[in-house]
Amino acid sequence: MTAATPGFVKLLSITFVLAIAVYMLVPLIVVIASSLSTSQFLVFPPPGFSLRWYTEVFNSDAYLSAGWTSLKLALFTVAASVALGTPAAIALSRFRFPGRSFLSAIFLSPLLLPSLIFAIGLLIVFSRYGDGPSLTGLVIGHTVITLPYVIRTVSANLIDMDPHLDEAARIMGARWWQRYLLVILPQCRTGMAAGAFFAFNISFDDAVIALFMRAPNVETLPMRIYSTLEFSPDPSVAAVSTIMILLTIFMVLLLDRIFGLSKIA
Amino acid sequence: MASASRSTNREPAFLLTPGLFFLIIAFFFPTFLLLAQSVLTVGPDAGELTLEHYQKAFADSFYAGVAFRTLRLALLITLICLLIGFPLAIIISRASRIVRSLLILMIVLPLMTSVVIRTFGWLVILGQGGVLSWVLQALGLVDGTVSLMRTEAGIVIAMVQVLLPFMVLTTLGNLNQMSPSLEEAARVMGAGFFRSIWHVTLPMSAPGLASGAVLVFALSISSFITPSLVGGVRLPVIASSIYQQMTGSFDWGFGAALSVLLLGATLVLMVPYLIATGRLGGRS
Repeated sequence: MTAATPGFVKLLSITFVLAIAVYMLVPLIVVIASSLSTSQFLVFPPPGFSLRWYTEVFNSDAYLSAGWTSLKLALFTVAASVALGTPAAIALSRFRFPGRSFLSAIFLSPLLLPSLIFAIGLLIVFSRYGDGPSLTGLVIGHTVITLPYVIRTVSANLIDMDPHLDEAARIMGARWWQRYLLVILPQCRTGMAAGAFFAFNISFDDAVIALFMRAPNVETLPMRIYSTLEFSPDPSVAAVSTIMILLTIFMVLLLDRIFGLSKIA
Repeated sequence: MASASRSTNREPAFLLTPGLFFLIIAFFFPTFLLLAQSVLTVGPDAGELTLEHYQKAFADSFYAGVAFRTLRLALLITLICLLIGFPLAIIISRASRIVRSLLILMIVLPLMTSVVIRTFGWLVILGQGGVLSWVLQALGLVDGTVSLMRTEAGIVIAMVQVLLPFMVLTTLGNLNQMSPSLEEAARVMGAGFFRSIWHVTLPMSAPGLASGAVLVFALSISSFITPSLVGGVRLPVIASSIYQQMTGSFDWGFGAALSVLLLGATLVLMVPYLIATGRLGGRS
């Protein structure tokens, strides 16, 4: 490959990479370690090993209902962003029309602005034209930030697919719904799945939009973790966080198996 | 023929309308209302045009201090991310396949974990009786307990961990497009290892580093969770001041004005960069 790298540079690189690995992963490891502690304070080293905080979490109505809310929110968000994003991605990558690059910028623009800005905007909308944000409000907010991801993954997926297949179907006299159901949507499958993964992950993990929209009576897991951390952290928060970390690990590995992480990076 | 071309023009319109309609209602309209809120009076004579919220933001030296802290921290965080991210990306791009996927996993796994949870980890590390304190005591470096909670150093340490993946992934994307033979050529022609990095790799990866830096800086000035949990109420940044106005003091006009200033700072940074890289308007 490249010309030889000096030996001391190699040694230096290995030390550097190990240091960064510790730095990147230690925050996750200490959360997992704290969740297994016997102490009710978050001290290091943990005095003993116990699973009592997990029992506590699974007996806590507050955590269970927050978990249920987060799950519903993430699933509705996935459905909405895939339903809106897929057709937009098909239009942007399969058709040539005036204003295409402008529209493409419009669709990706939610990624450019700080999400707290439009979360406050949505709070103002829901307070002015309704009785304040609700779960629906949060689904709308999360769909705005996850939509660009779906559009990106589906577009990236369609680039690898043969556009002539659709043309062939058209020439052979397929109706529009036959072309979409039998040719185009199956071609988008991988991109839609990847987009759905990202949308689920972003929605399930988000605290910023949820906190700034301040929907009364709606509390997601990240919101609950945030407010517990602000006031009285104890190892049951660590137990909930560990469950969320394990879910993330599972999703990342699945994503790697199906699409390959290097493609995403 | 004519009907065929008309139907192909109509098709993207059908496909784009739902998403576009949604974004107008759920993204552009709320952002517009926020802009409007920042120049309208609140209270009994609500709805009059005013600049009082902006005057308040600029007259109060407290908010100048908050803005200054936010920008200073963001600059420092961006700089550290550049210094760590560039060598890390080079190492990842040259590693063997297995090492490369492990390193990417090490970057992506924290990235996909909720910021609240990562910050929680930092609270346990940096706090009183935390991991850092324990390690330093075990090494005999300090006598009592140490805590970096409620310090700017603590915010920077935690924020760099949160934002480093963005820098590494953007730079890596750029390095992957670069042909390794260029560097090889430099080495064959007699350039040393560091000279070839400095004269070949660095200039070639400049676009990736620039977009990583812009992204990290923009995410940094608007970040809320990490600075407010690590820094606490005594070290407010712009986002936590906005949160305070919207949810604590309920001064929506002023909160909106602060948000518009933050939005302005982000756009001032983003738009020239996007135009320069041709992502807006030009190629997509």
